[in-house]
Amino acid sequence: MSPDAATIVLPTLQQDAPTRRLHALMRPRETTWPLFRATWDGLVARFGDDEIACWVAGMLRLVDVNAGPSCFVAFWSLCATHPADDGIAPLIAAADAGAEICRHAGAPAATAAIAAAPTARRLLGLPAMPRWWQIMENLAREAPESVGTVAKHLIEILTANDVDDFGHFVAAGLKAAAGSKQRRLNFFALQDELARRLIERPAAGVGFAETEAATKAFVTSLWGVPPLLRNLPTDLGQTQQRRVSLAAPLIRMPAFYRGVEGDAARALYKAAAAHAQAHLLFGGPRFPVGTLKPLQLALVTLIEDARVETLAMRQLPGLRRLWAPYHVAQPNGAATAPMLLARLARALFDPAHPDDDGFVGKGRAMFQAAQSRIADPTLSREIGMLLGNDLGQMRVQFNARTYVVEPLYRDDGLGLWDFGDSAPTSKETLELTVSAARTEPTEAPDSRDAPADPNAADDAIARARPVAADPRGTVVARYPEWDQAYGIERPDWTTVREVAARRGDPRTIEHALDQAQMLRNRIAQLVRGVRVGRPVRLKRQFDGHDFDIDAMIDAGISLRMKRDAEPRIFRASAPQHRDLSVLLLIDISQSTRDRLASGASILDVERLAVAVLAEAMDALGDPFCLLAFASNGRDDVQVTAVKSFAEPYRADCIGRLAGLSSGLSTRLGTALRHAGASIAPARTLRKLVIVLTDGEPSDIDTAQTDLVEDARRAAAGLRRRGIDSFGVVLDPGGITAASRIFGRGNTMLVPRVEDLPGQLSGLYFRLARR
Amino acid sequence: MNLDAYRIADEPFYQPTGDEIAIFTAAFSERLPVMLKGPTGCGKTRFVEHMAWRLGKPLITVAAHEDMTASDLAGRFLLDPGGTAWHDGPLTQAVRFGAICYLDEIVEARQDTTVVIHPLTDARRILPLEKRNEIVAAHPDFQLTISYNPGYQSAIKDLKESTKQRFLAIDFGYPAPAVEAAIISREAGTDNALAGLLVAIGERSRNLQGHGLDEGASTRMLIHAGRLVRAGLPLQLAVRSSIVLPITDNPDIRDALSAAIEACLP
Repeated sequence: MSPDAATIVLPTLQQDAPTRRLHALMRPRETTWPLFRATWDGLVARFGDDEIACWVAGMLRLVDVNAGPSCFVAFWSLCATHPADDGIAPLIAAADAGAEICRHAGAPAATAAIAAAPTARRLLGLPAMPRWWQIMENLAREAPESVGTVAKHLIEILTANDVDDFGHFVAAGLKAAAGSKQRRLNFFALQDELARRLIERPAAGVGFAETEAATKAFVTSLWGVPPLLRNLPTDLGQTQQRRVSLAAPLIRMPAFYRGVEGDAARALYKAAAAHAQAHLLFGGPRFPVGTLKPLQLALVTLIEDARVETLAMRQLPGLRRLWAPYHVAQPNGAATAPMLLARLARALFDPAHPDDDGFVGKGRAMFQAAQSRIADPTLSREIGMLLGNDLGQMRVQFNARTYVVEPLYRDDGLGLWDFGDSAPTSKETLELTVSAARTEPTEAPDSRDAPADPNAADDAIARARPVAADPRGTVVARYPEWDQAYGIERPDWTTVREVAARRGDPRTIEHALDQAQMLRNRIAQLVRGVRVGRPVRLKRQFDGHDFDIDAMIDAGISLRMKRDAEPRIFRASAPQHRDLSVLLLIDISQSTRDRLASGASILDVERLAVAVLAEAMDALGDPFCLLAFASNGRDDVQVTAVKSFAEPYRADCIGRLAGLSSGLSTRLGTALRHAGASIAPARTLRKLVIVLTDGEPSDIDTAQTDLVEDARRAAAGLRRRGIDSFGVVLDPGGITAASRIFGRGNTMLVPRVEDLPGQLSGLYFRLARR
Repeated sequence: MNLDAYRIADEPFYQPTGDEIAIFTAAFSERLPVMLKGPTGCGKTRFVEHMAWRLGKPLITVAAHEDMTASDLAGRFLLDPGGTAWHDGPLTQAVRFGAICYLDEIVEARQDTTVVIHPLTDARRILPLEKRNEIVAAHPDFQLTISYNPGYQSAIKDLKESTKQRFLAIDFGYPAPAVEAAIISREAGTDNALAGLLVAIGERSRNLQGHGLDEGASTRMLIHAGRLVRAGLPLQLAVRSSIVLPITDNPDIRDALSAAIEACLP
């Protein structure tokens, strides 16, 4: 026994079996015993006997799951810093949750979670803690390997989120990874585009995405040249706010200006974009870096900033009001290089601003003297170099690593310089240019190809890098998806990729059509029946090009009988207007490969049905579009355009139809959303989406019930936008799901697949008449 | 019939921006039909009025609309106590009695309506009224002018090729800044500085044409803004209610345009 044991304050009244057991278990551990004792003393001094007894029970639970000394130490340190006002309950909850996490994810995970608890308590507040523990426990059950990662990145995740956001974030991570451990780790380590987006979205409020349209219109309106605005990669963890980066002709803007909210953010984006565009309009060719020192680079950039702003304000004097609020440098304070540069920037921007510093005054005088040749970019280099020498002689410290251009709205200046081939900074400039050329940022390459080395991974996030074309097809859109379990719509959850159609032999379809000649004739008859543009004669109209003789005779009789004559005596004609566009969504998932008794596959019959209907729609002149879809997880919903609305229905389209092949799964909701987005711009009164599917929605990474609910919401979304959707189902097993998705009245079952061609066209004529 | 009611007594102000007066005068002397093309509010209607006054001819204006039929132009039988009576439409009046007939925004009318003008616009210069079984030969003073805003062009609203090719065209655009400032200062009675500012503001909105706006602010809009200022409104308020609010409903574009206009102001 330790010689100090006699001095421990032991509860005298309630010294029951558990307490004795705990002490007996702890005492032999020589390294941790003093810590335990100190914790025990502290708790006994602050809490009553009953509370202590509960704590002992919690602690024993940790002991029983073999949490290990590091976990105990973490727990005790949590207890030591625990404010007495919070009561003992949070500690017991922590012990319980720690034990539960340990049971599923092991001692290190439990240690990390307990160590992270004070952070969560600080950022979320005490009332949110039970929920936080619950989420962590759930995470330990579902993704044991990720608990430590979440704990490690907790500050970043929680900085601007509440506990519900945290819950959604964790759920999103679990769902997004679709069972892949590596992807989960990448997600929770915030190495995934989606993860970063999720945590920063609520944090920032108004960012580039929200302001882009207005900013672009603003700059266009100023000078008539639409700016090419792009988003800069997120700068998590960087201490300095990134500035706009010019990579002519692109203007790359930060996703957010930290700490700038609402209208202030809108104004800041305008100011920044106007400044950048002024560079592009009034700037000359890029300055060669040559042998210039960093301080000279900074000064030349500063003078050039002032020069283009002067020119811009000559044209549009009101720009001064836009930029002025960001010039806040005061003429007093330490004469450090960054301060002097900020003061010089202000002095050049506002000649009336008082600043009697010699260096600032000299810069101002030189700039004023050069006003007559302000349109000449070389003056920036001249003045900047002279001033750089002066500042160098003043021996003020300039650290090029930490220097950022002030004020906030100005660009980082890198885009003004030609670094040649050798300079170290050129790498970054080059990378920016290369990555800026990618208009559609894709998240997949980051998450999937993330290197094993964590440092390399960090590097990959912080900087953009050239990415090869994705063999899975071009990303054309992202759509939200409904998460039934959490009852929320996850934004930008699914990715639609357009896959170039394979060219098949149109003759196979033409041959099939020839075989179905009877059907074709019947449909041709239907077409003649509802042919477009046939004028309808309207009788007894108030207004028209001619008299309606019957009405006129009636009116004449009335007049002769001295009665009021019916004024509707004209006839008119109006063309009967067919105003309908149709999008046919064709399911080409794996199950359409099944063969029928006749030897043809389901897809073959679908193809014939589509070809017959397309002929009819083409003859009627209704605009229509044929899209085939299949999916391979949320990240890869493949859409093949067989015929777009814009192109005429010709042999190419038939060839593409013949080239369709079966494969993958059916993520119907996303396909419906994409169909909605494709048909929405059509300028017709009625818009109709017909889905041709052989069964229920399914995919590899999500439960079927979720997908059915998602598709139901997608169909409801279409209805809200005035787009009718209709499901044609080939498998009797799929009818329940289809009725749930489209509604019973909007679903048709074709039990004998061979009947599909006739039934589909019949349906079309029925729907088109409604 | 007397068309005096259609004569223009006082000179309508028109500031020429090119050769349009010479072209129109030549076209009129040959009685060739003319098409005026250009964005809204750039002076097409004012130009026709000015030319009618200058040439001393009556001017019959018809604003075309979607429901306009050929009968609305040519005329129709109406019922009166004695039976049916034929009433000439505005086009027939101009043809019969000699006037300049101006069909404003002709693309608004249905395409089958506009073919009624075809026999009038070639060497025949006649208007067949098949309902009356009559062929009206055009009066020597008759001339047809149409206006047409290419900005509205879409698949459904475009002139038929056979219609287009019957006209000679005069292209109207926004006047050069100095000319436009002079027009604004004359029409709105503002000083030159304010007129110049309004022109700069107009240019900001025209920069957005095709980038959020279908058309930029017309000269007419700028004149309205100037008149509001003359009536005592502060410039910002006048510009907002006469330009920013009417021209777009898109909040982003409104925001951008307001900020750009703000950048023009000293």
